[in-house]
Amino acid sequence: MSGWDLRIEDVRYAYAEVEALRGVSLAIRSGESVALVGKNGAGKTTLTRLLVALIRPAAGHVAVGDWDVALRRPDEMARRIGYVFQHADQQLFARSVREDVAFGTRRLGRHGPVDAVLEELSLASYADVHPYDVPAPLRKLVALAGVLAMEPGVFVLDEPTAGLDRSQRELVVAALRRRSALGVTVLAVSHDLGFVAETAERVLVMESGRLAADRPAREFLYDARALAALGLRPPATAEIGRVLKLPDAPIRSEEVAAAMRGVRWKQNPE
Amino acid sequence: MTPRLALAGVTFTHPGADRAALRGVSLELTAGEIAMVAGAAGAGASTLLLVATGLAPRLVGGTLAGSRTIGARRCGIVFARPWTQLTGLCSTVEDEVAFGPASLGRPLAEVRAAASHAIRQLGIAHLAGRDPAHLSGGELQRVVVAAILALGPELLALDDPAAELDPAAADALYALVPSLAADGMTILIATPDVERAARVATRALVLEQGTVVADGRPADVLPVTEVGSLARAAGCPPPYPLDVPALLARIAPDAGGRAHDSSDAPPAGSGPDTGAIAR
Repeated sequence: MSGWDLRIEDVRYAYAEVEALRGVSLAIRSGESVALVGKNGAGKTTLTRLLVALIRPAAGHVAVGDWDVALRRPDEMARRIGYVFQHADQQLFARSVREDVAFGTRRLGRHGPVDAVLEELSLASYADVHPYDVPAPLRKLVALAGVLAMEPGVFVLDEPTAGLDRSQRELVVAALRRRSALGVTVLAVSHDLGFVAETAERVLVMESGRLAADRPAREFLYDARALAALGLRPPATAEIGRVLKLPDAPIRSEEVAAAMRGVRWKQNPE
Repeated sequence: MTPRLALAGVTFTHPGADRAALRGVSLELTAGEIAMVAGAAGAGASTLLLVATGLAPRLVGGTLAGSRTIGARRCGIVFARPWTQLTGLCSTVEDEVAFGPASLGRPLAEVRAAASHAIRQLGIAHLAGRDPAHLSGGELQRVVVAAILALGPELLALDDPAAELDPAAADALYALVPSLAADGMTILIATPDVERAARVATRALVLEQGTVVADGRPADVLPVTEVGSLARAAGCPPPYPLDVPALLARIAPDAGGRAHDSSDAPPAGSGPDTGAIAR
């Protein structure tokens, strides 16, 4: 598995009368892990759909590695980009979880690591269950598992942690960190800044169809003023780091816990 | 005071299921209580909401054993997927919100008043003339909550009510909950967003495989949160704090008498503050 560069140049897109993207340009290097944040309606999802050719830009250019996306169909794009929809129900259709997870990789003519991925996301006990008999949050993990099994060079995920509880979220974080370590490119749309803190090294901010900021995750997550302007609060890790003035602006939980090792704790809450 | 809901040894099985989704659940909810239901996916939280509001088995089928008394004169439920809950009959948000009270046969003036009050509570006046079919998930979720509030429920069940909302809108929705309870509404919230719900809940029920395994104050009974797990990793003794303010309150002051700078103001610069830890 190795990643692909993503290049978006002066892209515009409109839904009927609403201009969703008004000239967006950005480049993501192979292997980077990037979060895309912004308010509802800022154009985040639209941007990700252009990458996989689900919609075509009215103007501008989109490239994934050496592929011009304008010349590719969505099923071809699936060879390079694994896309996880915000609502898992849009991408589940087989009669069992295992079949669903195996579907994509089989379509690519490969034998992806279906069982390993089910194990990785703690879904093994659901392998023979119908996807619609699986609790809603786990359906989201099933959709992610299908994409992991395809072993694409790029993951594009739309709100991958919405509706998940802490342990499910940790599974998603761990799975993405493992792929990042292998050099896979990750682009995740997310409102969940705790998730962003654990996975992203760079944050892109969309506002009204434009790219409003492009900053290192560490710097952005400690910028309470910029976050407030977007209606966001710092993740718990950055909030703790800021108040305790922890060195090196830690954002991942293990970094914060390590930086707090010298803290003296009261035995009981007051 | 008659409880809004009384369950005694309630077991509920969904149609066609081979095991019960709720087993031997007993609880009472009174006016003004805000109870959150926590538990892993599939633990039965959503089912508890369906049973509490009377929708199960009446609408969804299945079998209920044990005793259930719904004392609330009216129950409302908000689902995590708001588009499943639209009437499909209204071409404006205002009409959608008014649909419930209108279908109860109330006089027109009351219907309009209830709808506009609920629309104001949810901060969606700017959407009043829009077609519900053209709204985003987040907008729709607030419309559905308004539509349920317009019915004036005494027992309100919220099933992951902020699933579609951005963080600011989610905070605003949760901030509304205590004021509804102060007016006497009983509120039951199921959500994986434990930290947000714990900020407003007066009580937490923890479900495991359909059974209530803990019932008490949120800080006493909830499973370890992300912040709690971080505190544990940093050496904090149990009970682990639920959120950041609770974590900061657990840090012992240093020799100078200050544990930390508790000012809420953002840092002076826009970049990270890389000053040394203040101990």
